[in-house]
Amino acid sequence: MRKFLTLLTVLVLASVLAFPQTKTVTGKITDQNGQPVPFATVRIKGTKQGVSANAEGDYSIKADPSQTLQVSGTGINGQEFVVTSAGVMNLLVTRRNEDLAEVVVTTALGIKRNKNLLPYSAQTVGGDEVTKTRGDNFVSALSGKVSGLEIRQANTLGGSTNVVLRGYKSLVGNNQALFVIDGTPFDNSNTTNTGAVASRGGYDYGSAAADINPDDIESINILKGAAATALYGSRAANGVILITTKKGRKGALGISINSGVSVGKVDKSTFPTYQHTYGANYGSANGYGSADGNFLSFDVNGDGIDDLVTPTTEDASWGAKFDPNLQVYQWDAFDKSSPYFLKSRPWVAAANDPTTYFETPVSFNNSVVVDGGSDKGTFKLGYTKNNDKGILPNSQINKDLINLVTTYKITDRLTAGVNINFSQVRGLGRYGTGYDAKNPMTNFRQWWETNVDIKELKAAYFRTKQNVTWNWSDPASLGFSSPAYWDNPYWDRYENYENDSRSRYYGNVNLNYKITDWLSLMGRVGLDSYDEVQEERVAIGSIASTIGNVSTNPPTSGYSRFNRSFRETNYDLLLNFDKNIGKNFNLKALLGGNVRQTNISSILSVTNGGLVIPGIYALGNSVNPITAPQENDTRVEVDGIFAGATLTWKDMLTLDVTERRDKSSTLPSFNNTYYYPSVAGGFIFSKLLDDQPWLSYGKLRANYAQVGSSAPALSLKDTYVHDQQGAATNFGSAPIFSVPSTKNNANLKPELSKSYELGLEMSFFKSRVGFDVSYYNTKSIDQIVPAAVSNATGYSYEYVNAGDVRNKGVEVSLNAAPVKTRDFSWNLVLNWSKNTSKVISLNNGSKNLLVQDFGIVTSNATVGLPYGTIRGTNFVYTGGKKTVDADGYYEISDNANDVIGNINPDWIGGVSNSFRYKSIALSFLIDVRQGGKVFSLDQYYGLATGLYPETAGNNDLGKPVRNTIADGGGIINPGVTDDGKVNTKRIDISDFFGAYGYYFNPAARYVYDASYIKLRELAITYSLPAKTINKLGPLKGVDFSLVGRNLWIIHKNLPYSDPEEIVSSGNGQGFQGGAYPSVRTMGFNVKVRF
Amino acid sequence: MKKLAIIVPALFALGSCTKHIADLNVDPKRPLVVPSYTLFSNAQKNMVDQVTSSSVNFNVFRLIAQQWTETTYTDESNYNITVRTIPDQVWYVFYRDVLKDFEEAKKYIPLDVVDSKGVLNVPQQKNDLAITEVMEVYAYSNLVNTFGNIPYSQAFDSTNFFPKYDDAKTVYADLLKRLDAAIIAMNANPGAGAWDSPFGGADLLFGGDVKKWTKFANTLKLKLGMILADSDPATAKTTVESAIAAGVFTSNTDNAMFQYLKIQPSTNPIWLDLVNSQRNDFVPTSTLINIMKAVSDPRLPAYFTEDPNGGYSGGIPGKGNSYSNFSHVADAIKAPDFPSDLLDYAEVEFLLAEGAERGWNVGGGTAETHYNNGITASIEFWGGDAATYLANPAVAYTTATGTYKQKIGTQKWIALYNRGFDAYIEQRRFDFPVLPAPTKATSAFPARFPYPISEQNLNQTNYDAASAAIGGDKVTTKLFWDKF
Repeated sequence: MRKFLTLLTVLVLASVLAFPQTKTVTGKITDQNGQPVPFATVRIKGTKQGVSANAEGDYSIKADPSQTLQVSGTGINGQEFVVTSAGVMNLLVTRRNEDLAEVVVTTALGIKRNKNLLPYSAQTVGGDEVTKTRGDNFVSALSGKVSGLEIRQANTLGGSTNVVLRGYKSLVGNNQALFVIDGTPFDNSNTTNTGAVASRGGYDYGSAAADINPDDIESINILKGAAATALYGSRAANGVILITTKKGRKGALGISINSGVSVGKVDKSTFPTYQHTYGANYGSANGYGSADGNFLSFDVNGDGIDDLVTPTTEDASWGAKFDPNLQVYQWDAFDKSSPYFLKSRPWVAAANDPTTYFETPVSFNNSVVVDGGSDKGTFKLGYTKNNDKGILPNSQINKDLINLVTTYKITDRLTAGVNINFSQVRGLGRYGTGYDAKNPMTNFRQWWETNVDIKELKAAYFRTKQNVTWNWSDPASLGFSSPAYWDNPYWDRYENYENDSRSRYYGNVNLNYKITDWLSLMGRVGLDSYDEVQEERVAIGSIASTIGNVSTNPPTSGYSRFNRSFRETNYDLLLNFDKNIGKNFNLKALLGGNVRQTNISSILSVTNGGLVIPGIYALGNSVNPITAPQENDTRVEVDGIFAGATLTWKDMLTLDVTERRDKSSTLPSFNNTYYYPSVAGGFIFSKLLDDQPWLSYGKLRANYAQVGSSAPALSLKDTYVHDQQGAATNFGSAPIFSVPSTKNNANLKPELSKSYELGLEMSFFKSRVGFDVSYYNTKSIDQIVPAAVSNATGYSYEYVNAGDVRNKGVEVSLNAAPVKTRDFSWNLVLNWSKNTSKVISLNNGSKNLLVQDFGIVTSNATVGLPYGTIRGTNFVYTGGKKTVDADGYYEISDNANDVIGNINPDWIGGVSNSFRYKSIALSFLIDVRQGGKVFSLDQYYGLATGLYPETAGNNDLGKPVRNTIADGGGIINPGVTDDGKVNTKRIDISDFFGAYGYYFNPAARYVYDASYIKLRELAITYSLPAKTINKLGPLKGVDFSLVGRNLWIIHKNLPYSDPEEIVSSGNGQGFQGGAYPSVRTMGFNVKVRF
Repeated sequence: MKKLAIIVPALFALGSCTKHIADLNVDPKRPLVVPSYTLFSNAQKNMVDQVTSSSVNFNVFRLIAQQWTETTYTDESNYNITVRTIPDQVWYVFYRDVLKDFEEAKKYIPLDVVDSKGVLNVPQQKNDLAITEVMEVYAYSNLVNTFGNIPYSQAFDSTNFFPKYDDAKTVYADLLKRLDAAIIAMNANPGAGAWDSPFGGADLLFGGDVKKWTKFANTLKLKLGMILADSDPATAKTTVESAIAAGVFTSNTDNAMFQYLKIQPSTNPIWLDLVNSQRNDFVPTSTLINIMKAVSDPRLPAYFTEDPNGGYSGGIPGKGNSYSNFSHVADAIKAPDFPSDLLDYAEVEFLLAEGAERGWNVGGGTAETHYNNGITASIEFWGGDAATYLANPAVAYTTATGTYKQKIGTQKWIALYNRGFDAYIEQRRFDFPVLPAPTKATSAFPARFPYPISEQNLNQTNYDAASAAIGGDKVTTKLFWDKF
């Protein structure tokens, strides 16, 4: 690497010496509308000398007075200008067709290129597109706007977002697209702990891309295929989301202020509806004590007669039929502070069901951007403040984002730039996720008594500030007995809350030296650095629940503290060559080096055995001495060199060739160097059809690339652990070490991904209609996988190079402007993509690889099937029909491992329409996912505990289903008996063990279609007309907008829940447990520009 | 231009690449080599935790043997062991968290330079190896007696991802062979400190006392030998007789008691499940309490608390049971430092009684005397008056109902209270006392555990072969020794 750098330096100096400076002509090329014309070619007539303008239309060429400059380029009419004596010549050219505006896209390493000439697929989303509806993470605003991009999101406040381009390529590794901001990679880790990812409780701490200020985004380019991203090396395999931030503009000081507020409401179609006929318990057959078996029976009021008492320990609703004439002592009869203390109440359904629990989420967003510049330099300073309050009580996320971008022309040839960002995100009371006491959805969807009134629980908590719960373990012992299984959900939110913060600095310093008109050198040092802290609490008096990373033997009180530091430095040196060769050729070439150093260190410490003093959340306040904290420290370095060349002929044919070589610290020294070649070609065939007026543009493109990837840090050498969860810590005075559950591998080699892509782009009728179609095929081989292995090996996982996965698919983008007049326009954009993945082989002929174990079902890579099979117990089919046993229950497969679903959608798509009438614009986006399956733990348990309406009501005989069989109740499971005859056996469902829940059903019964059609975004914007603005002095523009997000789920098949909701980002998808409802948000936004 | 010549290299000097890039890949927080005793302690603790635990995720044998039943969530009491993938948990604990660390300890024992006290008596390293072997036999016997055929000869080979399953009978034979070899190794050990193990205090069970280990090994041999009594009487007889001759437990002071500590995470897992969790998931069964009440068993107050009516009552197995209405597990058992009993003298006496009934040489005494000794040992262990109890005609060996299997089976089952897995073995061997079917049983009485789902996923070919070999991977498939 050092040698290479020396070589590069020498090269640079040599080139400088070879082309001594002389007098030059510089200027800007603009079109008839005053817009810069990027990448136009400027030639000196009669010579071979020529240059290309840059993306801003700036050019610079050596020329003598009286020579003639010839300007040509895609979409402009060729024109000639005689060189005057002046050093500066701004050239005005005319565009042939004003609809065919040149689109400049930023490609790998921040190189700007003319989109028309790109030989690979890249899709651009404008900054305003992602700020329009103001979600808390701009990433979710990409959903439906890019073909081939699948976004899945958690409905929690600040929850994580799963961003996958062109399918899951890595079996168990990272499948998230790489984020790059202004050339510097930006970490998007999700530090949610492994327990929470497996839905076993914890918090979703969100994806770090949420630190990006959407107001700073100028544009987002999505580079989907490997050919587009090969220059990025190791991390390019999953595609790149390239963000270009806004820069300062030359000219007078500009100020832009944006202020918005939005409120939300839970979408009731994504939350349970409850049956209102029966109350608490698991079925009278359990004989709780009363004559009918439904109630506890003891003397509460001291009159010597036994009273009816709700079986408060029973978190199910298979109990007594509601009857206002029945007087029952409920949970609050045992709370001394309650108005109902020792008082009975009529036995009726709760007036306020859990829907009442949700609060109105409000978010404020304020930002100010100041920018300006002169010929010497530009600057932009921005500040954004976000306050989001969630649907759960006591939840909020506050963000402060500051950004400074400056450029300065040190000399005509040397430009320096600095881009500094600081962000601070502070979370308080993030939502508990998964199967856990800290996730109230576990109650509301799975374990609940329909007679419990949420508002009364709220009052009880605020009255006492104690854990007064509906779920007393022993109501007979008056006063505060402990909770049986569940806390008061308000106690949980106000006492067992977490808080977190992440302070982040990122940005880069860069120097650009223009050696000659066609050769420039760029050096850049980029830093991405953040420190985060996560503190979790469980207050004394709570039910046991996970804390920190501890999910076995959870404590009933405690405190955990997690500190993590992330530092990544990128050093880049890039030599750029851009020259016209002869009349018809243009050669762009680059040569560069990159050094990436990443250091992540973390420490997690948890109190041991509970807290001594209530309310003091400190590690020292631990009942027992705390055990060793979990410490991690990883360092990674990847050294890369790369070169690339793009040859263009007559702006019609493009050939791209790139090569990168990486050397990674995480691989064994004999295997740590690997290469990424790519070749791509584009053919603008419309150039040959200039005489066809209907055809505005047509391009064919094809490319092939190979990208590699290295191993995770510390996966080569075997070590021993002393802090493995649940495995080891000193026993008294005996020190303990253990073999870790994963076996490392000293012989790993780089993994490889090979892909090709074919594409066709066309537009017609003055570009009123156009499409872009791509076909791609990616094969990922030799993947580095911590493969789950039989525990009989002594390990649960072993690192291997194993597994081939193929993803192929089609992406279509369609755009049309059906109406286009001066006052009214209508634009339509459609994105559609279909990805088919197939697991081709796994290690040593293994048939299945476990991706995520959710307990009841698993997510897997199964050979011969698409990635992401859901496996679990299945129905037993006879002649294609579900088989019912002699007792009338569905037979369950012996094999608890049948494939019962697959997470992959058949296709995804989005349609966005935007209308503009004079100063009013209206746009809306419909987002569609067709197919894909999700297992619902909520239904699995919730149908068992009798919460939902389908567990009550009448049966086919017109009698209440919950009646005994003798009394006309029960149901007949549709299906056939072993001999193929139609089942006629009626089964009793008068208790928990009945026919609906998990007890007598296979997991397959709770696998649902995850399709949806959503009205994702709706925005109406009114811009003050120019003539009004002109009267307002310094104002340049005022926009008012009314925006809505997730307003309407037009179609879905998953009952009571949002099919899009995920447990966390990562590969373990297709599972819901304790799902949060989706939130409809409506906002108002004002943007003022001075 | 000169400036540039300075700036550019300077820029890169900042990020100069590390010369020995591979050095970055060393974990600064975790060692590459550790002393053997740290692995031994860990394996021992993990093993005892698993055997002792009452967590429905790890150890549901108390429920299956109907010592306890559940209050609200009754799945496991009704034999539903798949919802929580309990076979998977048992499997990974024994293989990964117990046996693997024992295996690794064996690897390091010859390399140790100091023992847990900081010095090392090299010849006594053989004792460490023998003790580790005995622990492995104990762990493996748990796996065989839970599943039947298991990966054995090809286990712990990290280059073989697909270990084949060995026939359970063959595994048994090899375990007995290893036990014999370990016993010989411990007895043959010469020199000073012959009865010490360098493990010392790192041996959390016997503190490095090799004499105690020898007795434990012989007692374990007696127990494993007797398990073969119905399927291979000849082997059983020689195994049992040679174990007795070599010296087994002779009093409660010999009992293998694992002493838990008061402070987490070294506490008894029962305390975690029943006290620390603040949950009320379990009550004793009516099955056990009614049998004990019928004969006024003096161990009732040691086993259970009184119910609200001042008597003893248990929940109906498999039915929802209101926690507050019934007796609970006795407070002493719920203490954080309550010791875990891995093998005891009462059990030995019941084995001798059974051996006598089978006409084997048990070193003297009749079935009745050993039966009486077993009951007495248990009652003395828990506290209470044995004489009155033994005089009860329903208890007395000559007058109690049924065959020797019923008499010994019933009393042994009572004595094995709080030792769910051992009670489950005896329930399968004796089929007494007859346990009622739980209210909503999802299967017949489980004769074994089905193999883990992870094995079906990850080791399918061998899983299929093993499944076929044992007659189907079902809960109702009987193990080879379970002839009746």
